[in-house]
Amino acid sequence: MKATKFFLLLLLFCLCGPSGSSAQDAPYMRLLHSDSEPQNWFMYGGDYQSKRFSFLKQITPQNVANLRPAWIYQRSRPGEMIEDSPVVVDGIMYIVEPPSTVTALDARTGLAIWSWTPALPRVVKVDGYHATSRGVAVLDDMVYVGTIDCHLVALDRITGAVRWSVTLGDNKINYGLTAAPMAIDGKIIIGPSGSEDGVRGFIDAYDAKTGKRLWRLYTVPNPGEPGSETWGGGQILGGAAWNKGSYDPELNLIYWGTGNPAPDYNGDGRPGDDLYTCSLLAINPDTGKVKWYFQYTPHDTHDWDGTQVPVLFNATLDGKPRKLLSVANRNGFYYVLDRVTGEFVTGVPFVKETYAKGLDAKARPIVLPNTDPGLEPVLVYPSNNGGVDWVSPAYNPLSKTFFVNAREMGAYFAKSKLPDKPLVVGTGMVMGGRGNSYLSGDDSYGAIRALDVTTGKRKWEFKMQAPSWVAPLATASNLLFSADDEGDFFALDSNTGKVLWHFRTGGSFISSDTRSSPITYEVDGKQYVEAADGDTFIAFALP
Amino acid sequence: MSAIRSCLIVALVFTLGSLAQNALPAWQGQQGRPGAQSAIVADADKGRDLFQANCSGCHGIDAGGGDGPDIQQAPASLGDANVANIIRKGVPGTPMVGFFSIGDAGAADIVAYIRKLGSTITSETTKGDPKKGEEIYKSSGCPACHMIAGQGGEIGPELTSIGAKRGPTNLHQRLIDPGVNLPKEGNVGDRGKWTLYLLYRAVTNDGRIVEGIRMGEDSFSIVLKDVNGNFHALYKPNLRSLEKEPSKSLMPSFKDTLSSAQMDDLVAYLVSLKGATP
Repeated sequence: MKATKFFLLLLLFCLCGPSGSSAQDAPYMRLLHSDSEPQNWFMYGGDYQSKRFSFLKQITPQNVANLRPAWIYQRSRPGEMIEDSPVVVDGIMYIVEPPSTVTALDARTGLAIWSWTPALPRVVKVDGYHATSRGVAVLDDMVYVGTIDCHLVALDRITGAVRWSVTLGDNKINYGLTAAPMAIDGKIIIGPSGSEDGVRGFIDAYDAKTGKRLWRLYTVPNPGEPGSETWGGGQILGGAAWNKGSYDPELNLIYWGTGNPAPDYNGDGRPGDDLYTCSLLAINPDTGKVKWYFQYTPHDTHDWDGTQVPVLFNATLDGKPRKLLSVANRNGFYYVLDRVTGEFVTGVPFVKETYAKGLDAKARPIVLPNTDPGLEPVLVYPSNNGGVDWVSPAYNPLSKTFFVNAREMGAYFAKSKLPDKPLVVGTGMVMGGRGNSYLSGDDSYGAIRALDVTTGKRKWEFKMQAPSWVAPLATASNLLFSADDEGDFFALDSNTGKVLWHFRTGGSFISSDTRSSPITYEVDGKQYVEAADGDTFIAFALP
Repeated sequence: MSAIRSCLIVALVFTLGSLAQNALPAWQGQQGRPGAQSAIVADADKGRDLFQANCSGCHGIDAGGGDGPDIQQAPASLGDANVANIIRKGVPGTPMVGFFSIGDAGAADIVAYIRKLGSTITSETTKGDPKKGEEIYKSSGCPACHMIAGQGGEIGPELTSIGAKRGPTNLHQRLIDPGVNLPKEGNVGDRGKWTLYLLYRAVTNDGRIVEGIRMGEDSFSIVLKDVNGNFHALYKPNLRSLEKEPSKSLMPSFKDTLSSAQMDDLVAYLVSLKGATP
C-alpha cells in the first residue's frame, strides 16, 4: 500500500472510528469486566471464563430468521484451514488468516485496515497439527499472535507494526504456535504444539510490554523430577499445551489443558499415568507454579489430548456455593471440578463411550477390556478426534446450560512396533500406530448437545449430518449459533434446540478447510454475528 | 494434538509445494521418514501399516479389490516406481487421490507390501468373455440406466471407467445383490466414506412419498433422484419421515436372470471398461 493511501486510511480510521486511539486501547480492567461491554468480543472465549456467551439481545428468536450477510471478507492468501475466533474491540475486528497473518478489519464493513504477515522460513514443520492459528489476544495498545514457526509477536493495534517478538521453541523440531494467547494483567501466556514429534510441552508467560519471559512451566518432567515416576522409566515425551486456558482473577489461577504423551497409540514404552499429559493444570500466573492438577486420561493411547478450554462457573451444590469449572473432554466424559481445589465433582459420558464404563470416585476412567490399541485394530468410541476435539463449548449462565458440539464417531485403533532406539525429538512423527480408520460418513453423526452444567444431564440435542468442528455461541436472548459440517450456519432456540434460522454459506465448514468459532459483537447500535467458512469471514446482521 | 488429517495436509503440501518457488513456505508436515529420498530401502512391514491405514479401505485388506480395483499385480505389471508414483500423485478422474504426505519412502514401503501380497496370493481373475458380456449388457437392459462413453441412461452410475474403479468380485456382487455393501466415497480425514447410491424413502408432511437415491444431504436438506431420473429437493423439517433403505436398490438383481457363465461374461465386460469419459 502506498504511504499516502495508508495515511489517508489511518486518518479516516481515526476520524470516523468509534473514538480516538487511546479509547480504543484494551486495558486489563476492560478485559476483566468484559460482561459490561457486550458490544466487544475481547478474547478467544469471549471472557476469562471462556463462556462464549454474549449479553447482546438485538437478535432474538423472533427476528433471527431475518439475518443476512452484512459483509464478507475473503482471506488474502492461500493456506491451511481457518480456525480463527476473531477479537473485536471498539469496532475493529482482529482476525488471523492462516497460517499467521493478522488483519484488522472495520467490523461494520469488513474493510481491511492493516495486515501483518510474518517472514516465515521456507520450510515450516507442522507434524500433527495444522498451519493455522485460533486467534489473537489484545491488551492495552497491542495485539498478540503466536506464529506457526513458534514466535510470539506483539503488534501495534493501530498500525500493525511489530513492537516485540520472541521465540518460544525451535520449529525445526516441530514446535509451533496455533493457540490464541491469553492476555491478563501485564502478561501474555501461551503454549506451543508439537507432541506428535515428541517435543516437551510447556506453557510460557511473557511481560506484555517488553516480551521478557517471566516463567516457563514444563508440562512433563525431566527424568528424576517429580512425576517422572509415572512414566515407568520410559522416555518422557509430549504433553504440548496447544490450546488456550481460562482465568479466575479472584483465585489468581489460570486453568490450562495439556496434550497427549508420545508415541500417541503405543504406550508400551511409557508404562504409568504419564503425568502431566491429558490433564488440566491450575497455575498461579505470577509464578508459573501448579496449584493442583487433574488428569482426565491416565496413560493415554488414543490421542485424547486434554486441551479443551474449561468453562468457569459458580453454582450451589448441596446448599453450598461452589466455584466450579466444567470440561467436555476428548475422551468422551463431561467433567465438573471444584476450581479452588481440583476436587472431582461429577463426570458422565456425553457421547457414545466404549473406552470406559464410567469414572471411579477419584475420576479415574474404569477402562473396559480390549480398548487399548492392539497390533490388530480395535474399535473404540469416541474416535481419536474425541467426543469433542479442541473446539470450545459455550455456556449460558442465565439458564445454566453448557453447549457442546459432540462427535458421535468411532475409530479403529492399532499400535505398531516401537523403534529399538530412543526417539530423537523432532526427527518425524512418532505415532506408534494409528487411530484414523474412522467409522465416518453414514456411520457417524454430530450433535449440538445442551447439558445441565452441574450434572451433565442432557436437556436437548440438535443432530447434524456429520460431526462438526464449529464452536457454539450462546446469547442472552436464548439463541445458540453454530454450523454443521456441510456449510450451514444456523441459529437454534437455546432452550429447546429448535431450528430458527440457517444459511448455506456455499462451502463446507471443513471440506473447505474451516473450523471456525463464531462470535457476536455490536457496532453503531447494530449486532453482528461472525462466522468463518471456507476462504471467507462472514458477518451477519438484521436488515 | 489433533489427529492425522493426512489428505488435508496432502492437498496443502501439494498446493504449496508448487508455490514454494514464490517464497511461500512449504509445510513439512507428516512427510514420512526424513532423509528418505536417497537410498530408499523398502520395508514391507512398514508398508503393511501404511497400506492398512490408507489403502485397504478401497482396495481391500489383501489388495485384491473392493470399491477400488485389485492391485495385487500392479507392481509386477507397472513397475515399482510407477506404482509409487501413483500412490503419491493419484489417478486423475478416479477416486484414487494422491497420498503425497506418505513420502517417497512410505510409498516404496507400500509397494513392497503390495508386491509381497501379489507373490503370495493368487490374484483375482476374470473368467468370462468381455465380447459376450457386452451383448449381455445390452440385452439385459443395462443401457437404459447406465451410461458408457456418452451413450445410455442417467439413472444409475456411469460405467465408462468402472473397470478402473472396481474389482471383479465387487462387480459380481453388485449384480447379485445391488443394494448390499454399497461403495463409499470420500477419504478426507475423519470426514467422508459416505455411502453412494443409498436409497431413501421420504414422506412429506402432506403425505407425498418420494423414493430415490441420495444425491446430496446436509443437516437441513436432502436431494433424492427417483427411478425416472427426477431430482426431489426436500427440506427435512417439512418431512414426516425420512428413512434409509440400506439393502434396497433401484437396480434389479440379476441373480435369477443370468446364468453363472453369463454373469462371468458381463463382469469381464465391465472390468474391461477402463476408458476416460469423452
